[in-house]
Amino acid sequence: MSEAKPPGANGRIPPDALAELRASVRALRGELERRFGIPDTNVPAAAEAAAEALDEDDVFAPDDEIDIERPESPVGWLEGLAQRVREQLQDVDVVKLYEALRERVSIPGAGDVSAEVDEYGLDDRYLARTRRWLDWLFDRWWRVEVSGIELIPDSPRVLFVANSAGILPWDALMVAHAVERFHPSKRRPRPLVADWLATLPFSQSRLARMGAVRACAENAERLLSDNQWVIAFPEGQKGALKPFRERYRLQRFARGGFVPLAARLNAAIVPVAVVGAEEVYPILFEPRVLRRLVGVPVPITPTFPLLGPLGIIPLPSRWRIRFGEPIWFDDVPPERATDPLYVNRTRERVRGAIQALLEEELPRRRSIFS
Amino acid sequence: MSARRPPHSVGPGAIAITGLGTFTGAHIAERLLSQDPPPRIVGLDLRLPRRLEGRVRFHRVDLTEPTADSLVAEILEKERCEAVLHAGFFTDPYADLEYAHELEVVGSLHVMNAAAAAGVRKLVVTSTAQVYGPHADNPNFLSEDHPLRPQRDAHALRDRAEVEGLLRIFAQRHRALVVTSLRPSWIIGPSYESLVTRRFEHARVVTLLGYDPLLQFLHEVDWLAAVELALERDAPGAFNLAGEGVLPLSTLLRLAGKRSLPLPHPLLYRVAYLDSIARTGDPPAAFYDHLRFLWVVDTRRARDELGFEPVYTTQEAWMSFVVSRKLRGYR
Repeated sequence: MSEAKPPGANGRIPPDALAELRASVRALRGELERRFGIPDTNVPAAAEAAAEALDEDDVFAPDDEIDIERPESPVGWLEGLAQRVREQLQDVDVVKLYEALRERVSIPGAGDVSAEVDEYGLDDRYLARTRRWLDWLFDRWWRVEVSGIELIPDSPRVLFVANSAGILPWDALMVAHAVERFHPSKRRPRPLVADWLATLPFSQSRLARMGAVRACAENAERLLSDNQWVIAFPEGQKGALKPFRERYRLQRFARGGFVPLAARLNAAIVPVAVVGAEEVYPILFEPRVLRRLVGVPVPITPTFPLLGPLGIIPLPSRWRIRFGEPIWFDDVPPERATDPLYVNRTRERVRGAIQALLEEELPRRRSIFS
Repeated sequence: MSARRPPHSVGPGAIAITGLGTFTGAHIAERLLSQDPPPRIVGLDLRLPRRLEGRVRFHRVDLTEPTADSLVAEILEKERCEAVLHAGFFTDPYADLEYAHELEVVGSLHVMNAAAAAGVRKLVVTSTAQVYGPHADNPNFLSEDHPLRPQRDAHALRDRAEVEGLLRIFAQRHRALVVTSLRPSWIIGPSYESLVTRRFEHARVVTLLGYDPLLQFLHEVDWLAAVELALERDAPGAFNLAGEGVLPLSTLLRLAGKRSLPLPHPLLYRVAYLDSIARTGDPPAAFYDHLRFLWVVDTRRARDELGFEPVYTTQEAWMSFVVSRKLRGYR
């Protein structure tokens, strides 16, 4: 083969090389027939087609000219199929296929995480993987309808204040997801989650990887100072565990520590009303005895603990997330930010704003599922 | 190191190191002696490490003796000591709780009083960030002003927290004295040996089922650099020290190729109780709560006021430890 001449300048194979090639194809065909007794099946057919193609002026014929004809015998047809599959497989990147498959079947919490997390434990890779599930929950399970996203200012420090419900922080994840998905800045606010979740086995590490931080004044201050967006649920545990009959009635806003914080750091407060989240776990009652016994709140819902782990599946109610007009603290002098009367008044103003948004949104749905 | 140091800050006085035989004491003595010109080092301990023989002025002092304070004061005055590094603490919890208390709390009190009596200008104490205690209601970052809440049963850490309390009162009474307390996170590295490194050495590490806290590490080299920096510069107060970044325990183990053995904590705390008491004097919770709750420290103050910039990040410190232990396996 080493003395085979390269194709000429006009792209043609020299005639002597062509004859040599043709002869070797014939010899191979004869050899094949002699060994396996294969009659005129597709392989020699292809070879013949190739040999014939060599006769043509255009040696570099497109593939379809050497197309494989379907032979009559079933064995030949099967072999033809195998050949086709083999040809197809040559183009497939097996590694890529495996990766795609892995991504599709991976469950959040199991498997790969990145080797670096940010200082609060947020793991970008984990988040990217869970986003698929969050999207599904957002679009399919709760069919979330978002409004007022244009009211969110594009300022470095924003404190979202929302009504809280549902024992697990689904509402926190969905609000964060809504902002990230629909706001032009694509920023993902960090939810502050209840204290007792910080001690709850299995949940805490997952929440931290998704960006949630334990709700306390130090964390909120540090996050806002670092120009992060934060979601607070000032109702706290009282809100998350309120019984079903008190849904959408905002509880007392703890001590309202978020007001002086926002005023001091000049963060805009955006009231958020989440409708639908308060029905995902209809709490019948939450016995204090059990809380003392177990150490964490044990709410009784129609499905939990009756159905065991299945009771953790949230009800697929229809959600509406509505963002309200931001409250600014630009013109508030620093000494007023710590005035208890001012703080209390502002706190009630935020609470009133959220309650008003809730009252507006609630009549717009016919049932909790529509 | 030496380029950054203002030449006058150490001065003509000597540097006294109590607890010369500890990792910190011995290594700081070595580092100071390698400076040009080397300062005079006065070592106080029960015995002199062999490699420092003839290079430091050694005095045998037992800090648990009732009159140790006047003895130390006498030495400090006679040697014209300018700064004292108090490193006389146990690296690990010591099972003899009474003796540990005598050495760590009463011994520290002796050193403080002696330093004040001898007119020393600076006192640097090696504390630990574990004095904040791992708690469910800790914020993500503990600042130096956060209350010290060691666990109720962790006697060793309660002693260290008591020392911190005494030190604060001492600093208020003696305002002329520069009192620095260094609170490092878990120190880790190729040669540092402690309860922590021993727990993480095995190919299978016991973890608590359902918990995956964020951890910080400080490399031993960075720790020594921080102590040296505290001796060079006048930075009164407490300083948290840790490498940059935090990592979840599960990620650390994955990086190291180690496997975890997750056990439910109610089980582990009961089963390992007696063994742990016998070995360390503390119940298992004293250590394992650190693998359960957050106790990540905020190191911004050390960077701003002490000028401490760790060379190793948490991940690098951990990898350095892991690699050194793997090499050790091929002896």
